[in-house]
Amino acid sequence: MVVVDAAGGGGRQDEESRRLGFALTVPAQMLVLFIAAFPLLMQAYISLTDWSPLDGIGWWRAWELWNGFANYSDLATDNRFWGALGRTIIVMAICVPAEFLLGFGLAILFTGNFVGRRFFYSVLLMPMMVVPAVAGYMFFMLFQSGGPVNDILSAIIGSPVQIAWLSDPDLALFAVIASDIWQWTPLMFLILLAGLLGVPEDQLKAATLLGASWWQRFVTIVLPRMKTIIVIALAIRVIENFKVFDTFYIMTGGGPGVATETISIFIYKVTTQELVWGYVAAIGLTILIVLSVVAGVAIKYMSAQRREA
Amino acid sequence: MTAIHLEGLVKRFGDFTALRAMDLEIRDGEFMALLGPSGCGKSTTMNMIAGMEAPTQGRILFDDRDMASVPMGQRGVGFVFQNYAIFTHMTVRQNLAYGLKMRGMPRAEIDKRVGAVAELLQLTSLLDRPSAKLSVNILQRLAIGRSAIIEPAIFLLDEPLSNVDAAFRAVMRTELRHLQHAFRQTMVYVTHDQLEAMTMADRIAVMDHGVLQQVGTPLEVYNNPANVFVARFIGSPGMNLLKGRLADSDRGPVVDLGQLGATPPLPDALAAAARTAGAEEVFYCFRPEEISIAREGRGLAMPVTFVERIGARTIVHLGEGEETAKAVFDNDVGLSAGETAVISANEETVRLFDAASGQAIGSA
Repeated sequence: MVVVDAAGGGGRQDEESRRLGFALTVPAQMLVLFIAAFPLLMQAYISLTDWSPLDGIGWWRAWELWNGFANYSDLATDNRFWGALGRTIIVMAICVPAEFLLGFGLAILFTGNFVGRRFFYSVLLMPMMVVPAVAGYMFFMLFQSGGPVNDILSAIIGSPVQIAWLSDPDLALFAVIASDIWQWTPLMFLILLAGLLGVPEDQLKAATLLGASWWQRFVTIVLPRMKTIIVIALAIRVIENFKVFDTFYIMTGGGPGVATETISIFIYKVTTQELVWGYVAAIGLTILIVLSVVAGVAIKYMSAQRREA
Repeated sequence: MTAIHLEGLVKRFGDFTALRAMDLEIRDGEFMALLGPSGCGKSTTMNMIAGMEAPTQGRILFDDRDMASVPMGQRGVGFVFQNYAIFTHMTVRQNLAYGLKMRGMPRAEIDKRVGAVAELLQLTSLLDRPSAKLSVNILQRLAIGRSAIIEPAIFLLDEPLSNVDAAFRAVMRTELRHLQHAFRQTMVYVTHDQLEAMTMADRIAVMDHGVLQQVGTPLEVYNNPANVFVARFIGSPGMNLLKGRLADSDRGPVVDLGQLGATPPLPDALAAAARTAGAEEVFYCFRPEEISIAREGRGLAMPVTFVERIGARTIVHLGEGEETAKAVFDNDVGLSAGETAVISANEETVRLFDAASGQAIGSA
């Protein structure tokens, strides 16, 4: 009888357990909603007003300062914003490919066996472990006019070099880019090395026996097998690099002038110095949308890859 | 088509010696099986022929050509890996075309050859399928086709059937044998499965612990094992080995098996060989398949410990302690555990091995 009951009441039981499951996850869902959705909605709300903490009213009363889409139209014509965005993209366009190629090259070296492999492996990973602010300070020191970089250049050229790396608007960007490459090449190296080690040894041997040269193996076996991991590595660095702040801020403060002012430094300054929070909210939301599109494209590409495989 | 000569081949990995002084000649167009338990050095031998590993000592010659300085990509060797190593990110066609493409062959020629190989291996309808989700037998054919298309002089197969279930293995054995005839290439086949070696190979090289034990046709190896290892290893179950001493009786020379008593008189040739060899302690050996039930006093009396039914035949386990033997009978054998069976081995198939050296006495 029990068995018959259980079978007959299957639908009802399913319904019941589904409801129980939902009830049990409500607290967690509320928490997720609060963490993710609430700040986003708050930001969207403020971005449509002129609200600033100096106004003396709570943010929830920001509707009193409603300005519609004025923040967004201001943003469209804000040269400083577009300049910062352009600089961020230039930094990204140099840093990410440089880190990728250096990291990939190093990873390929490390798939071979050479003396001191373990030692150099640890050394290579060290920059990644340095707190970015500390890295910023290190590079701040390195690029002083009387600093080691100039000393080394002097030794190479043979006459004293005194380049004011950080205070020359044309050179400061190179200095901060150098710091970023130094710090984040190891991450690329690590991810790509893991990818390289995942390429099946047998397939490489099979390709060799079929007459493929090193380069042919690389193009026909290694790269296709690493597509997904390369996309992940690039996506991580593009998104991270877009948000770069601490190292740059400590090295140059975004200066001289706005020569190294990236989007994050720009937002930080507008937030803390000009205190126009409605405007800041609009900037933040715009960037979030841009980054989401980038991430979305990457994810779509990867799931297309997986369907293929 | 190429003959392979291995001369004094040695391979050491650090302190471990994988292969000790191996001499082997594989004839042009021959299907040679390297057979042995895991760790016997068969795969190492094959990897050295392919050029994936360099010998510590010794030479590998293809015909008269020393291969020492020829990198693996240029040896003209086709290799089928245990897991087939199919390029799963490519289609069947791309896999087949790979070797030709790497050689920069013109497109039209590639298409022609791919078509021909696909036809031969019945892959034509699958050419544009992605290779990732094909079944094992298709993967195997693809792996063979991919190597065959570059027309290698030598074909090496590394346990290609070990991932396949038993029923399928039988089908693939036949298929492989057909393919070898079709390609007419020198084939070296590594396996730990004696059935594969027996059914497919022209000759078998039996290996153990990095030492080549015996080379011969399947029947030679089965009928006349060169030593105790081969005797035990080949056959399922392997040969029965009973330890004893050579002795004389009024009926002629026999082997005194101690508690089991004396064996029936040895055949003249075998007795003569044993006398010439000067052996005392010997193994008296016979195949489980070559045993019949004898009358009291005409054979060895041994207790039946276990009767194992394997379907087609029945394996009877005999004896206890050191003196055990297995006998294969038809299913209607009237023995059951606890009884005593009197058995006698087919005189022509009895073999003697020197207990000290383990080497065969006489015919082998």
